[in-house]
Amino acid sequence: MLFEVRSRTGRIVLQIVATIMIIPFLFPLVAMVRGAFAGEGVKNFSAVLGVPGFGRFFVNSLIIAVTVIVLVYLVTMMAAFGFAKLHIRFREVYFWLLLACLTLPEVVLLAPLFVTDTKLGLYDTYWAVILPLAALQVPFAVLLTRNFINSLPNELFEAARVDGANSFRGFIYLVIPLTRPIAAAVIIFTLVASWNDYLFPLVFLQSPDLQTITLVPQFFVGEFSNDQTKILASAVITAIPEVIAYLSLQRLFERGLSAGAIK
Amino acid sequence: MTTSTRTGRRAGAERTVASGGGRPGRRGPRRPPGLPWILPALVLSVGLIYYGIGYTGYISTLNWDGISPGPQHLGGQNYSRIMHDPVFWEAIRHTVVFFVVTFVVQTVLGLVFAVLMHAKIRLGAFYKVIVFIPVVLAPSIMAPVFRHMFAPDGELNWVLQHIGLGSLAQPWIGQTGTALPVIMFITIWEWTGVTFVLYYAAMTQIDPSVLEAARMDGAGNLRALVSIIWPEMRGTTTALAMLGAIGALKTFDVPYLVTIGGPNHATEFLGTYIYRQTIPLNHVGYGAALSIILLVVALLMALGLQFAGRRAER
Repeated sequence: MLFEVRSRTGRIVLQIVATIMIIPFLFPLVAMVRGAFAGEGVKNFSAVLGVPGFGRFFVNSLIIAVTVIVLVYLVTMMAAFGFAKLHIRFREVYFWLLLACLTLPEVVLLAPLFVTDTKLGLYDTYWAVILPLAALQVPFAVLLTRNFINSLPNELFEAARVDGANSFRGFIYLVIPLTRPIAAAVIIFTLVASWNDYLFPLVFLQSPDLQTITLVPQFFVGEFSNDQTKILASAVITAIPEVIAYLSLQRLFERGLSAGAIK
Repeated sequence: MTTSTRTGRRAGAERTVASGGGRPGRRGPRRPPGLPWILPALVLSVGLIYYGIGYTGYISTLNWDGISPGPQHLGGQNYSRIMHDPVFWEAIRHTVVFFVVTFVVQTVLGLVFAVLMHAKIRLGAFYKVIVFIPVVLAPSIMAPVFRHMFAPDGELNWVLQHIGLGSLAQPWIGQTGTALPVIMFITIWEWTGVTFVLYYAAMTQIDPSVLEAARMDGAGNLRALVSIIWPEMRGTTTALAMLGAIGALKTFDVPYLVTIGGPNHATEFLGTYIYRQTIPLNHVGYGAALSIILLVVALLMALGLQFAGRRAER
């Protein structure tokens, strides 16, 4: 154990400190649930669930998140394999081009994408959100995965080559199965980033049929003309899938979402 | 995101592997071509993002509303206007204050939580879940909750009145003095989970024999924390500083949804200001020039922190 607190009073003091520190973290969650049950109680929830098209927000978020994940996963695995184990002239130049994108705030892309999407007819389609979201996730995913594949022994790939396996077979039979741990992290942070994204759906999705769950609060401000309890009920309902996903995959979420700073 | 230190170390490791195995100076068998493999990622990411940046750079020289044909070319005028724009400088100041405060508070809280969990307190698993749930929840979904909580008749004032601190009750998000602290509180609430998880993991990496030795020499828990554990975790702290700084520059959702950048620009950040100029005000050219400045600041800061971090590691 890292810290030894043997005395009884010491342990009690630590317990009290922890409890005091947790209160500000717990408070908003309690306020959210309490507010959602205020006034008409459970009826707030049935009113929210009864709004036609409410389920649509979840479906849209799911479609967007899944497509982004598939796109990011495929493109990342291929690129990380290429960077780590194949021959590329000026490899580091390409890599740095990609890494420079890590610092890009998404707001920078608003104007050019808006103009271009309108020209190409992509405005107000899923793709207007999916493509920039995936583009912003790929650089970091490639960085993580390249580091991971680098740590796999070269001999493994050379032996496969000697046995007559081409790069494609090497990718399918070595890279895909061996990268599972890092792929889990990539999938989790891509999932959370695309599920929670607000700015791109706000600007690029106009029809309510296409909008995502992050736009739900605004939708309900219009729908219930500022009935706070209903808006909070909708927040609780939209938060539930995320909390369940986290609780059932705790370690994966903690690792995946902290990957941003792991060495 | 300690990218360059990581790639630096990686490149070193690879060299050792390539020149090892009793064939000094010779590379292994020639590897098959990899360009086709990285092409999809380059097209998607580098293609889309650099296209966007280039386009933004072009728009930033225009006086344009985003729709009408034949916009007027201004050269660098948008940029010189920004230099004299008080709201821009206010946004920069908010970003700096916001970064310093959120980073320091998150570091302290994350560290203390990590220590408490390592001391095996009761209900530890429950505490951890409560601190980490905010990381998972979308800021845009929590925004109405915080608007409600900090409202004049909201939960916070209610609690203050019931514990005898009614004189402290105030319209938290409606006045300039408290709006920015509210935004910082929400951000700290959201991100302490990550700081905590990282410090917790970093603490498990510390060699127990070093701590043992310190204990033998009579060092208490606090002493061990300050002079052994904290320095050992410098890498994690640098990485968190980098993430926090970039996060501060990207800040948009929370101030936009909770305070709309107000009142009176009191919570204006570069993100909210660019959005305001570009979408509701249709000053697309001016917004683009702000975007380019934001991008340059972000890149310079990432490079600066990278060098600072590397020097600190030596």
